[in-house]
Amino acid sequence: MRRRLGPGFWIAACWILLVLAGALLADLLPIARYDETLAGPPRSGPSADHPFGTDGLGRDVFSRVVHGSRVSLGVGIGAVLLGLAIGGPLGILAGYRRRATDAIIMAFNDVALAFPSLVFALAVVAFAGASLRNVLIVLGVLGVPAWTRLIRGATLSFADREFVLAARVLGVRDSRILWREIMPNVAVPAASYAFIGMAVVVVAEGSLAFLGLSVQAPTPTWGGLINEGRTLMDDAPHVVLAPSLVMFLTVLSFNLVGDRLRALTDVRHSGLEPVRQAPPAAPAAPVHAVGDSLLQVEDLRTHFVTERGLVKAVDGVSFTLERGRTLAIVGESGSGKSMLIRSILGLLPGSGVDRSGNVYLDGDDLTRRTPEEMRHILGPRLGTVFQDPMTALNPVRTIGAQLAEPLRVHLGMNRKQAREEAARLLAQVGIPDPGRMLGRYPHQLSGGMRQRVTIAMALSCGPDVLFADEPTTALDVTIQDQVLRLLHRLREERHMAVVLVSHDLAVVREWADEVIVMYAGKVVERGPTAEIFGRTRMPYTEALLQAAPRLTDPAHHRLRVIPGRPPDLVDLPSGCAFQPRCAHARDRCVTEAPELLEDGHLYACWYPTGSPISEGAESRGR
Amino acid sequence: MAGSGNAHLRPRDQVLLQVEDLVVEFPAGRGRTVRAVSGVSFDLARGETLGIVGESGCGKSSTARALVQLPPPRGGSVRLDDVELTTLRGEALRRTRRRLQMIFQDPISSLNPRRRVRDIVSEGTRVWGAGGDRVDEVLEAVGLDPATAAVRRPHEFSGGQCQRISIARALVLEPEVVICDEPVSALDVSVQAQILGLLEDLKERYRLTLVFIAHDLAVVKNVSDRILVMYLGKMCELAASTELIERPAHPYTRALLASIPGSGLDLPPADRLIKGEPPSPVDPPSGCRFRTRCPRAASRCAEEEPEIRPLTGGHWVACHFPETA
Amino acid sequence: MILLHRLVRLLVVLLVVTFLSYALLGLLPGDPTTQILGLSATEEARAQLRQELGLDQPLLVRYADWLGGLVTGDFGTSYINQVPVAQELAERLPVTLELLVAAQIVALGLAVPVGVAAARRAGGTLDQVLTAMSFALLSTPVFVLGVLLILVFAVTWQVLPATGWTPISVDLGWNITSVLLPAITLGAGQLAVYARLLRTDLIATLQEDYITLARARGLSPRRILWRHALRPSTISLITAVGLNLGALIGGTVIIETLFGLPGIGRLIVDSIFSRDYLTVQGGVVLISVGYVLVNFVVDLVYAAVDPRIRHA
Repeated sequence: MRRRLGPGFWIAACWILLVLAGALLADLLPIARYDETLAGPPRSGPSADHPFGTDGLGRDVFSRVVHGSRVSLGVGIGAVLLGLAIGGPLGILAGYRRRATDAIIMAFNDVALAFPSLVFALAVVAFAGASLRNVLIVLGVLGVPAWTRLIRGATLSFADREFVLAARVLGVRDSRILWREIMPNVAVPAASYAFIGMAVVVVAEGSLAFLGLSVQAPTPTWGGLINEGRTLMDDAPHVVLAPSLVMFLTVLSFNLVGDRLRALTDVRHSGLEPVRQAPPAAPAAPVHAVGDSLLQVEDLRTHFVTERGLVKAVDGVSFTLERGRTLAIVGESGSGKSMLIRSILGLLPGSGVDRSGNVYLDGDDLTRRTPEEMRHILGPRLGTVFQDPMTALNPVRTIGAQLAEPLRVHLGMNRKQAREEAARLLAQVGIPDPGRMLGRYPHQLSGGMRQRVTIAMALSCGPDVLFADEPTTALDVTIQDQVLRLLHRLREERHMAVVLVSHDLAVVREWADEVIVMYAGKVVERGPTAEIFGRTRMPYTEALLQAAPRLTDPAHHRLRVIPGRPPDLVDLPSGCAFQPRCAHARDRCVTEAPELLEDGHLYACWYPTGSPISEGAESRGR
Repeated sequence: MAGSGNAHLRPRDQVLLQVEDLVVEFPAGRGRTVRAVSGVSFDLARGETLGIVGESGCGKSSTARALVQLPPPRGGSVRLDDVELTTLRGEALRRTRRRLQMIFQDPISSLNPRRRVRDIVSEGTRVWGAGGDRVDEVLEAVGLDPATAAVRRPHEFSGGQCQRISIARALVLEPEVVICDEPVSALDVSVQAQILGLLEDLKERYRLTLVFIAHDLAVVKNVSDRILVMYLGKMCELAASTELIERPAHPYTRALLASIPGSGLDLPPADRLIKGEPPSPVDPPSGCRFRTRCPRAASRCAEEEPEIRPLTGGHWVACHFPETA
Repeated sequence: MILLHRLVRLLVVLLVVTFLSYALLGLLPGDPTTQILGLSATEEARAQLRQELGLDQPLLVRYADWLGGLVTGDFGTSYINQVPVAQELAERLPVTLELLVAAQIVALGLAVPVGVAAARRAGGTLDQVLTAMSFALLSTPVFVLGVLLILVFAVTWQVLPATGWTPISVDLGWNITSVLLPAITLGAGQLAVYARLLRTDLIATLQEDYITLARARGLSPRRILWRHALRPSTISLITAVGLNLGALIGGTVIIETLFGLPGIGRLIVDSIFSRDYLTVQGGVVLISVGYVLVNFVVDLVYAAVDPRIRHA
């Protein structure tokens, strides 16, 4: 927590405390009285006696600024508390009760927001009298709509969460749900907004004072001091600059504290986003022969340094792929399977990620291509489909515009040609009435239709390899079947290669020719599909197969349980990453990471299943 | 499929939970209505696990929420023993809810990020003022170490462990019925197996009656005694798990099974059993709601909604032209 | 259909807003008859004046009267200087409008390139510098900034006038000179708000799958940024343009006073000091109605920017 707030937060907090202490102790400080004229020579600049100099009447500017902070901070804190006291309950009520309560409160709120608050404050203060109390009440009440809106929004975002539902199922009373489940979550955004609100109120009070409509002279206020100093700008600019600077720093501090507190409520960081570049992952010199395969990946590594440590997301992956074949990359979350294809395509998130190894497309090393050169390969030669068709399409552009774009950019078609080709592509992926579909937006389509559109986009420039990252995970099973059939048909028609990333072994078994099983960024087993599923060698693959329920098993069949949890990528176990969860693990597995061994297919295990060594050996008994 | 009807319900004295003609609807804007559940009935004997399976939009999650009256259904009845839940309000409903607990799909979102595990799990006991000593016991039962786990907050746990915490929270009140709404679909296969095994253990240990809702038929079959297949807010087929998988009679059940890759079942390819995409629940088809995607659909299917009817003992189907062996 | 629904809503909001501004200001202490006749007037004379002005009527009746006038463009006649309020407002409106439009041009014109430049390499040096600068700007009260700008440009360098106003009709060049400093002062705070919003939303958009997929289709970064990412990232910005109008109008009161511009804000301040209720009421209503109308238009702009809202 301390580290995430950053040094700026603490400096700002100290400044606020300093100003607050000055305001509280102003009378006790050994400084001139704020209204004592000729405390020094008029209009004299900063000196040891008068750190901020003196004003036109020879009054000590420092003393006046310190005393002025009483009004600013008093009104700031008071008005914010008043706004919160009224707006907070209203917001919680509106957000939690919904329906009529919400509608009424928010209708009032909308109207209240329509008033020009500063103008309104001016009028009210002018007619009701410019006292500290009136200024505080007016600014506090004017802050109510913003508070209501904020607290309502925060409440709404939590009132729908399952943990609130769960509490209601437990029979918890509404009052307790509000207090125990919702309030703690709303508290942080509220605290954040309290500081930003104080900044707003301090500025508003300053504005009133600047116009002469806040607390009246002789009590000094920051806005009033700045207004007075304006007339002396020519020969004594310090009189206006000193209160300006103090006010600026105070407002800045309130904003900064509020901003940092708000950052705390942002989506929790996984601690796994890259923060800086990792040292080069491996020596670059290629020691492999470049074959004439369509796609050849050699010793690909992708490492990055995160807040928690070095993550080896992809750690030495090699494979080859020919036209007309489907390679499946299978693994659980965190295995690095998605990162692998992003790494092959060079689509790594921003900076801070280090990639090494080689990717050859028809013998041409893609890792040596500049980003500019890569752009002529992505699209025309390598096509990509992602998991969630909902997020894979730009929500504000029509299907036609998105589909025609690569055709115009890469193939140089004109608008009309691109449109015709787009309609043809849509028909090819089985979308009815393609002409009308071109004018539609993604949200008007079902999930299955959207995925067909993204496939059409990936295929638009006739790629040689199609990368499909969990293309059916977000779809229903009957639609999944349709999409997988479509991919297979298109592969045949276009004589492409397909790289299919999936967590679903059944999908892989049915649709892939070759399989790579990944665990913690490494390939643990690789080979033809029939081999992998027929003669599984790596205990992880075997366990995964037995952990998935099958329709042909009897009901209440006990599934094989893989103990423990998927590995923590910044804190991998020594030796084989799977050994802590492996039933066959022995001492060597802890001390030495297994290389990929060849026996019909490749596997990385010292004691593979189905071999006499492991059958006869006693497991370590974990 | 549009099946309605109550012929398949067992005598009331033999069942713990009975749901009759459940209707769930909610507004969809512009004065339209989503017909999420339109006349679904089922029952559970004590100690039984009923699986409810179907694709998105079939109304299975709406059914789950209607069972715990969050919100209460638009129509129909939910009876737990002798208590009719749909007419209960306020304090009486609150008291009855504790007998009926729920586990949700998203393990992260179902735990309050700002509370410690012990507070989360013991919330029910604090509300009801009893069973505080059970917190450690249920934490152990779900495979967490009370000494180290209880003082930590949810974000320090993996998805599977969060799901264990959710289960502990549901069990601490000693409920009779637990409704599991897609409890393993957000988890990896290896973790999914752990949770499924855990649910079976706990069911035995605490003599639970389970409603297990999921979209994955293989998962549902693994834990269920009987399975109800739903489509677009209606019932299709109800049978004992093995019977349903081995002798599916409803065209939709057959299509669902055939769509599962590597199912190992003797069925024609899925693209011959189902076509197109599901219609919107705002404007469902007349008659049988599955007819727009069904290769067997005839004119009768558009005119007349099929009633659920017995095929063999304990196998029920709502279709005019079911597949019979 | 939806437009009709929104129009009805708009009318209701306008009614409530005008009523509240009328009632709240009308209920405040202070008696207009004292203002007009002075403290020494007899109670009889006051009563007669009240009757003439209609002040003896119930609040609702007076409101209805006044509203009837508003619809026909009659805001009443100032008790203080006997000038029709509508005429006074009409004279000053162009100044305030020009100031507001110029400030928005300064703010939006700079915020879009600044926000895009910062988001392009989030966390980079340029981003950190721009973010720190906009944070500082955000924390500078408008009158402090105004004073500083006058100090630098008018007092020290003497390149721009500190005060005064030349209408467009008189001289375009002088008009621009006189609006420049006020517009920059007023727009600077908004610039910071807009740039920060746009940066945050753009960064979020750039992490979306459809952006990665646009890269995967070999589109250039420039094309992706401007054609694909910018439009879906502008919703918060558009909301802010509408909602912050209130803050901006509040700012005109200060700016017009500080720079001596003859606009509505200055008129309201002056009228407040001279207790000219009708003029204050007229000004507040004019501003509120303007705010409501602008936000009505903003709602329509949403639909143009985001088809999901259009079809919802």
